[in-house]
Amino acid sequence: MPFSRIVVAIDGSEGSEHALAKALELAGLTGATLLALAVEGPLPAYAATVGEVEEVKREKDAFFERLLMRVRELADEAGVPAEVELRPGHAAELIVHYAREREADLIVLGHRGHFLRDRMLGSTADRVAEHADCPVMIVR
Amino acid sequence: MGELAVAALLAGTVLLASTLSVRLGISVALIELAAGFVVGNAFDLSVPDWLSFVGSFAGVLLTFLAGAEVDVPQLRREWRASFAIGSVSFAAPFVVVGLLAYYGLGWTVDQAKIAGIALSTTSLAVVYAVLVETGLNQTAIGKRIMAATFITDLGTVAMLSILFITPSVWIVPFVGVSIALIAGLPRLAPWFFRHFGNRVIEPELKLVFASLFLLMWLGDRAHSHAVLPAFVLGLVLSSHYASHRKEQERLRVVAFAFLTPFFFLKGGMSISAGALWANLGVLGILFAGKMVPKLIGVYPLARRYAAPHAAFTTLLMSTGLTFGTISSLYGLNTGIIDRTQFSLLVAVVVLSAIIPTVIAQRAFQPDVAAEREREVAVSARLREDVA
Repeated sequence: MPFSRIVVAIDGSEGSEHALAKALELAGLTGATLLALAVEGPLPAYAATVGEVEEVKREKDAFFERLLMRVRELADEAGVPAEVELRPGHAAELIVHYAREREADLIVLGHRGHFLRDRMLGSTADRVAEHADCPVMIVR
Repeated sequence: MGELAVAALLAGTVLLASTLSVRLGISVALIELAAGFVVGNAFDLSVPDWLSFVGSFAGVLLTFLAGAEVDVPQLRREWRASFAIGSVSFAAPFVVVGLLAYYGLGWTVDQAKIAGIALSTTSLAVVYAVLVETGLNQTAIGKRIMAATFITDLGTVAMLSILFITPSVWIVPFVGVSIALIAGLPRLAPWFFRHFGNRVIEPELKLVFASLFLLMWLGDRAHSHAVLPAFVLGLVLSSHYASHRKEQERLRVVAFAFLTPFFFLKGGMSISAGALWANLGVLGILFAGKMVPKLIGVYPLARRYAAPHAAFTTLLMSTGLTFGTISSLYGLNTGIIDRTQFSLLVAVVVLSAIIPTVIAQRAFQPDVAAEREREVAVSARLREDVA
């Protein structure tokens, strides 16, 4: 079996939707377990009010709850065994660490996430490709 | 440029700031401040009267919201340690910056007081975002830092309200009405909410706004500022909002959609690029005036009460944003400080929101899992000792 554990990074962006579809397809073909990691992006930096932070956090929590539920449904429909997890933090670092921790043999992720600053500082996909221990598939 | 043209330009700027905030993951307030700076200097706009008025009210509303966001039970639990850290965090830069401005920069006594107050603050919101993002808000050290931040903020609003009072008969109604509202509104709120709450015409928000306007008027007559009673009013209503989250959410919607953007835009528009450029040395001195006493004053206490994360705690206590801007705008609006001094103070406030936060996150951020394990081990040891 070419793959037994495939990590897919999701953040609800268009790029991650493409990555999820491709990861599901691959997992279905190879009989691999899909490990969906949702990376909760940063809260507003240098906030002026606690309210702004709390509201964004609440929106994010609700958004990711819906996102993870949808991944479970899609995996069920495709007959793919799947585990979903939500972690807060730095996207590239988390994805690489999670793949290592779960001994994944493939990471699938979109080429572009939500935040402009990811694009300005070099994309998450680039950094994961550079630091991951396993093959990385970047989906357009 | 006519008033409506300015309003249209600023409304467009506010809209752009919101979208940029979502895309960049940076607080909308900081972007509004920066956008105001760009628009104000690029178009050479002066702040129209209506913007001044809306901005002043928004500043008091921001203070009320800050009070309402305090977790009072947590503050009670962490009172001793947070009081020590928070009071030094306020007093050290207040005294040092005040003396520096008076003796070193030749500012008047009142200007030096404004400088001391504006640069003594710690930003609860900046600290809160860092702690929530990392999950540290659930740990004892995170709770202690937030409680200490509240103490610093209390020092700031108290000084801003007290230091500029000119003795007159208006102090009596100002203090009397403040006490009546602080004592009465928490009792009135549940009844008022039961009878008039949850309606689209929002009588409960209007009750808050009417109270704040009354405090602003009386504060103005007493040559004081409504921030202290507004902050305490928010504080005493915090438990009401904790059990009526929707009401708090609606208040935030009104504040963030219309009022606070104009507060930060006004702040940004009042910053002079030329004045900053011509006084970069003074900017550096004031920045050091804020940071050095914060670091030297807070660090020993943080070692005692927030070990082993003293450096992280100290850096977070050195941040500032909203109350620093409110204090500086008060000084500008009342003519105590001029535009150059205002520009310097707000620039230092913004730098202090960014630089210590970045250093704390990059170099000193505690490992949350390790911190929780450490707390569990400490609790177990304590239980063994007691047994």
